[in-house]
Amino acid sequence: MSMSATGMSDRRQVRRKRRSDRMFTALVWAVGIGCTLFTLALIAMILEKGMPGLSWSFIFGLPSEIDAGGGIGPALFNSFYILILSLAISIPLGLAAGIYLAEFAPDNKLIGFVRICVEGLASVPSLIFGLFGIALFVEGMGIGLTILGGAISLALLNLPLLTRVTEEAMRSVPPEYKQGSLALGATHTQTIFKVCLPVALNGIMTGICLTAGRAFGESAVIVLVAGVSTSGIMWDFDPLSPGATLAVHLWYVQSEAIVPDAAEIASKSAAVLLIVVLLINMVLRIPLWLVDRKKQA
Amino acid sequence: MSKSISAPARQQSGGVPAGIGRRMRLRLAHRSFRILCAAAAVLVSGVLLTMLFFMFRTGVLTFQSVSLREFFLSAEWEPENDKYGALVFIAGTFMVTALTLAIAVPISILAALFLAELAPSRLARVIRPILDLLVGIPSVVYGYMGLTLLIPALRTVTGSNLGDGVLAASLVLAIMILPTITRISDDAIRTVPRKYIQGSYALGATRFQTVTGVILPAASRGIVQACILGMARAIGETMAVVMVIGNTPQLADSLLKPTSVLTSNIVMQMPNVPFDSTWNNALYMMGFLLLAISLLMIAVVRLLQKKGEN
Amino acid sequence: MKWYGKLTTLTLAATLLLGAAGGGAATAAASKLSGKIVVNGSSALLPLTLQASNEFKKLNPKVRISASAAGSVTGPQAVRKGIADIGACDWDASTDVPGFSKFDGQVANKVAVIPFAAIANKSAGVSGLTTKQLQDIFSGKVKNWKDVGGKDADIVVVNRAFGSGTRVNFQMKALQGTDFITKGDNYKEVKSSGDMKTAIETTPNSIGYIDLVYVTDKMTALKIDNVAPTTDNVINGSYKVWSYGYFMTKGQPTGATKAFIEYIQSAKFQNGSLKKLKFIPLTAMK
Repeated sequence: MSMSATGMSDRRQVRRKRRSDRMFTALVWAVGIGCTLFTLALIAMILEKGMPGLSWSFIFGLPSEIDAGGGIGPALFNSFYILILSLAISIPLGLAAGIYLAEFAPDNKLIGFVRICVEGLASVPSLIFGLFGIALFVEGMGIGLTILGGAISLALLNLPLLTRVTEEAMRSVPPEYKQGSLALGATHTQTIFKVCLPVALNGIMTGICLTAGRAFGESAVIVLVAGVSTSGIMWDFDPLSPGATLAVHLWYVQSEAIVPDAAEIASKSAAVLLIVVLLINMVLRIPLWLVDRKKQA
Repeated sequence: MSKSISAPARQQSGGVPAGIGRRMRLRLAHRSFRILCAAAAVLVSGVLLTMLFFMFRTGVLTFQSVSLREFFLSAEWEPENDKYGALVFIAGTFMVTALTLAIAVPISILAALFLAELAPSRLARVIRPILDLLVGIPSVVYGYMGLTLLIPALRTVTGSNLGDGVLAASLVLAIMILPTITRISDDAIRTVPRKYIQGSYALGATRFQTVTGVILPAASRGIVQACILGMARAIGETMAVVMVIGNTPQLADSLLKPTSVLTSNIVMQMPNVPFDSTWNNALYMMGFLLLAISLLMIAVVRLLQKKGEN
Repeated sequence: MKWYGKLTTLTLAATLLLGAAGGGAATAAASKLSGKIVVNGSSALLPLTLQASNEFKKLNPKVRISASAAGSVTGPQAVRKGIADIGACDWDASTDVPGFSKFDGQVANKVAVIPFAAIANKSAGVSGLTTKQLQDIFSGKVKNWKDVGGKDADIVVVNRAFGSGTRVNFQMKALQGTDFITKGDNYKEVKSSGDMKTAIETTPNSIGYIDLVYVTDKMTALKIDNVAPTTDNVINGSYKVWSYGYFMTKGQPTGATKAFIEYIQSAKFQNGSLKKLKFIPLTAMK
């Protein structure tokens, strides 16, 4: 009697377990699919408002203050220019600092403190970075509102995220890999380059994608340090030109512009921004695919 | 992975005849690389310290004319009448951040689990870049959508007159930090060695048990990291928050009452105040405070994490 | 900044020399003008600055103009600090205004006439208010539209941040200096003209104010004391809620900066682009 009772409760427990497990699976699926659908809906909404009427003359054209039909050419160009400059500064620095924290830094209180501080830096509002940029470039160096100043300020803004993501990615490399490499006589540096970095590449790329996306959409810093105007001509590579980016132009059009088609320009610019971020993500992922292929081969 | 280990090994065996010169060179390379990395770390910390100093230098001047007690404990922010109580903004920042995390963290972790464990890898590979796109939407666009879609919706649902407030700000922020937390957690979960997970299943554990008993603990470091970075972004975000919070210096006793947070107040007023005024100094102090708050919250999270590990 | 100062002096000297030698070949001299102009300040004047700088750069390709905007007071402050050559400001910053003391040694150059309008959401059911009613609403004494002839609904007041040029002018000209409310369940502040426009268009029973330029047909531009906010009424003197927009400079402007301001004040720009931007030309005001 008692035997069969325990058997019953066991079976009941198994059934309950299975049911809760199924519910859990369903929940995770629901949330995963829900998030994806939500994102898609958001993106679709932005694209739907902006895609119709998107033309090459809009993308490469010069902006206009009075008549409808102005383009975003110089702003879009500046966006890329500033993004590339800022990534060129922040990626090497962020990676090196992240590698130092993960591989070389002694495990003491000071480093722990530095780590927390770097995270804290990630929460400093971009406005403050902008004011800092003004103090440094506009007041300190007297070069006015420039692409260069904007790019450097933006790089500083992105350093904390990049540093911490790199460090985390390096740390998550299984220690066996490293030990194996070291045991085979490789130096620490060789191990980092040949073993850890390839394994950590996935995480680092996530960091770079997130950073690049954020940098592309950032406006507060650029407004303050690089200005709201462009030099008004296409393909101006002078780093001392005023450097309004597309995100800044979007902000300007949405908040102050008088042009009759301001709302339209805003939604079209938002669509272009989104498409470009998508493209950047795809381009940045190419090295990942290549590594994956190599691994499979 | 076997490939990546064999690479240096091969090189090593090829390098043996070269002898001591090569070893010296390698050591030199290693040392200079190490110095380079250390220099970068110093630079990053240097930037941080400069920023801290930059804000503190101006911010501390506030207390020449405002008492500490008034600044931190008074909710009266009327700089035009020389009243500089920042309590409203401090409380607002805590409220918005907490509510944002309460919404975003559970959803993000479930979504990360979905991507890393449950979804077929092909589907996950498609979804990841889509989520990354959310990061690329400029905050101005988020703010505008909040203003034109979310707030009218909140008005109809709740029947309030405005709709601006802590709830609206938290919802917008939660969407903004969702991809950050999801993607970094996703990476953390994926680096949990397969053998742990397979072992757990082999022992007859259900999926729920495997997730809570094996995967989440093993990936906890990365997930906490993800939450911290998401939280940092939420604390520091300005352009979107300022459009939906209402910007009114009053303590929010309901989620739908217009209020203000540190960032939104800084961005609203900083461009409009005289450079050398107490008002301006107080705004810098609030910037410094923002950093202090996020450091505090990070320290708390770290402490909790350590307790959890023991 | 030093080399820049030298440069402008040099340019000025060269311009003068050329002008003297050429016997008034002004256009030839102007096109040789070079230098760097940094404009900062009021965002309400930004469209005008950007348009003018586009046109000016076409005539003077060697002049580099960069413009940014934050708030009105940023303009004269940046000029005082020496980080901008022109500070765009919605009030005359060389005199005291409510909340802001004057900036000594700066010259206010008028560039445009800016009209402002009190605006309301269409649902309020009111087409005009008296000055007294406006004062009562914005100071929080009147809280329901039915008390000013509208429907029975709470009034939602939308305000600009303290220090906004639009706010300073609206307070001085439309409210005649009375104070704003600062708190309440039905009160919010917005950051820019664009946000104000969106807020009034989408919030039922709301009231706010904005530069006349931004008024759309999705909102009601309120008559004040029975006078409609139109360009004509500003010019004929019956609508009082307007102000000049100013470019503040450190002392009298010189060199490229002077030429730029003169270009904006020229009849060609005032009656052309400036009018198209829906500002009112300086010459229209008597």
